[in-house]
Amino acid sequence: MIYIIAALDAEARALVDYYQLKRDSALPYTLYTNERIILLVSGMGKSNALMAVSALLGWKIPKNTDILINIGICGAPAAYEIGEALLIHQIQDETRRYYPDILYTHSLRESPLTCVDEAQSALHDAPVDMESSAIFQAASRFFKLHQMAFVKIVSDHFAPETVSKEGVVELIRSNLDALDEVCSALEHVQSPDTLYTEDEYKEVERLKSYFTKAQGSALDDALNYFRLKHPTMPLPAYPDIPDSKRERKRALEELIAHLTA
Amino acid sequence: MKNSSHTSPPKLFSHLYIERSVLDHPQTQMIRAKFGESQVIVIDHYKEVFNRPSQSFAAQSRSKKLILARKEGKFLHEGSQYSDGFDHKQFFYASSVMGCLYDCDYCYLQGLYPSANTVLFVNLEEAFVQLLPYLGEDTLVATSYDTDTLAIESLTHQTREWLAFAEDHKHLHLEIRTKSANIKSLKSIAPNPRVTLAWTLSPQEIIDVYEHATPSFEKRLSAVEEAIALGWKVRLCVDPVIYTEHFDSLYPKLIDQIFETIDPNAIEHLTLGSFRMSQNHLRALKKLRRSDVAFYPYAVRDEMVTYPERIENTILETLLSKALVYLPQERIRTWQRQL
Repeated sequence: MIYIIAALDAEARALVDYYQLKRDSALPYTLYTNERIILLVSGMGKSNALMAVSALLGWKIPKNTDILINIGICGAPAAYEIGEALLIHQIQDETRRYYPDILYTHSLRESPLTCVDEAQSALHDAPVDMESSAIFQAASRFFKLHQMAFVKIVSDHFAPETVSKEGVVELIRSNLDALDEVCSALEHVQSPDTLYTEDEYKEVERLKSYFTKAQGSALDDALNYFRLKHPTMPLPAYPDIPDSKRERKRALEELIAHLTA
Repeated sequence: MKNSSHTSPPKLFSHLYIERSVLDHPQTQMIRAKFGESQVIVIDHYKEVFNRPSQSFAAQSRSKKLILARKEGKFLHEGSQYSDGFDHKQFFYASSVMGCLYDCDYCYLQGLYPSANTVLFVNLEEAFVQLLPYLGEDTLVATSYDTDTLAIESLTHQTREWLAFAEDHKHLHLEIRTKSANIKSLKSIAPNPRVTLAWTLSPQEIIDVYEHATPSFEKRLSAVEEAIALGWKVRLCVDPVIYTEHFDSLYPKLIDQIFETIDPNAIEHLTLGSFRMSQNHLRALKKLRRSDVAFYPYAVRDEMVTYPERIENTILETLLSKALVYLPQERIRTWQRQL
């Protein structure tokens, strides 16, 4: 699943059209979904972003192969071209700094980003936005750092009054290829950390239910050993679990010895 | 997504995180010149990157970044119970790099550090200042304890600096342990009899499965051969031994292969030892779920995990009897838990 977070309706508009997303009323936030994507419109500013992202991720807890992308506009120094898509490698919020892990190649320009409280007319050294640090803080409770990316499109050179809704829609629309590229690269570096299929997992849990917590943990280790050592082999058939405590203990020892032989 | 093309992993050290305080350090400048295409990200303190919560050691291992920093406090630490101090009066290890280019499944660094990235402390000159008070008597310093310094020598030049320092201090002994084949870095340096180069050698079958991104056995052995020819004192380590199927043929064959190429009289010692680790580090390794090594049913004693005594004895007996074909007992060192 791809979680996309945008602050503004205008930022979401081009994404809704492009990915053919449908409005979803599951949360008291503007939400659009299809079978692969959830797009959340958080509202402007850090507080809105923090609450909306927390609500979304608490409602639909991500898996370790899922990714999150924050896309939106930013003000930037004149060295950055209007319309340019940036991939953010450092987010500064006053004295705090946050670092998404960029473990993939890409064609975007990388940049630091400063997260501020209101639209900026004063010049800054780096591009600025108003939500990224809050999104990072909320999302990093649910995602690892290499599952998140922050893509910002330069909308103005610290002249927010020049930015129109139509302009924002167009800025996002003209950078959909960049967004696709980042999504694809980000998905490619994710790998599941589960060693078992769902059926295997159920069977392992059933088996463990016959044993004490410590015994179950030893069995877990032995099964992990077997799966990592022989990734293509099916887990061995489990023996019938005896009723007697002593025999059960012996059966477990035999099973562990077999799995780790 | 319309763009489904898979990307290749970024180049090694695609990102350089540099502490503001070392931006102008000569070594920082040299590394920046070497990695001209890498992204440079200025940070205040290495911990804000290296110690971040929610990092994935496994994912980062496929795309390591470099952090350049200034070491605050102690560079030198007492040698641990898991290592051999070779009866030197004082035994320290130097921590001038955190993290390793290599990615061995059994390495305790995975349990020790929250990140697979590498931190290079560029102010090595301060390590030498800290060491000076101890150099009135026989002192061993292991320079590649929390890393493989020779593997990144072309980048850091730290081994070269250690060797130059050792040249001037007659009580200082160095141990430089490595899996690297990078002997080129040492060619222009005169061998020092108080410096031991220690190579970890493993069967190629074990390297293929557990020692990712490391040089092959053949390349390591060539480097050993060349180091001996250059006049360096060399120790060989078959340590840690991983108990696996065909263990009893793989490791004896390894010892034969070693001494088919290397004259046993040309090495100082052969060290033999089975896998061991602190229980805390093993717990962290298990969480990563990367390798079967983490999940073997080890025995635990005094917070240390080892193979059960019967297996540990089998490992040492098997290797020792083969090693004795080539070397006298006094030149074979074994690691075994204290009973």
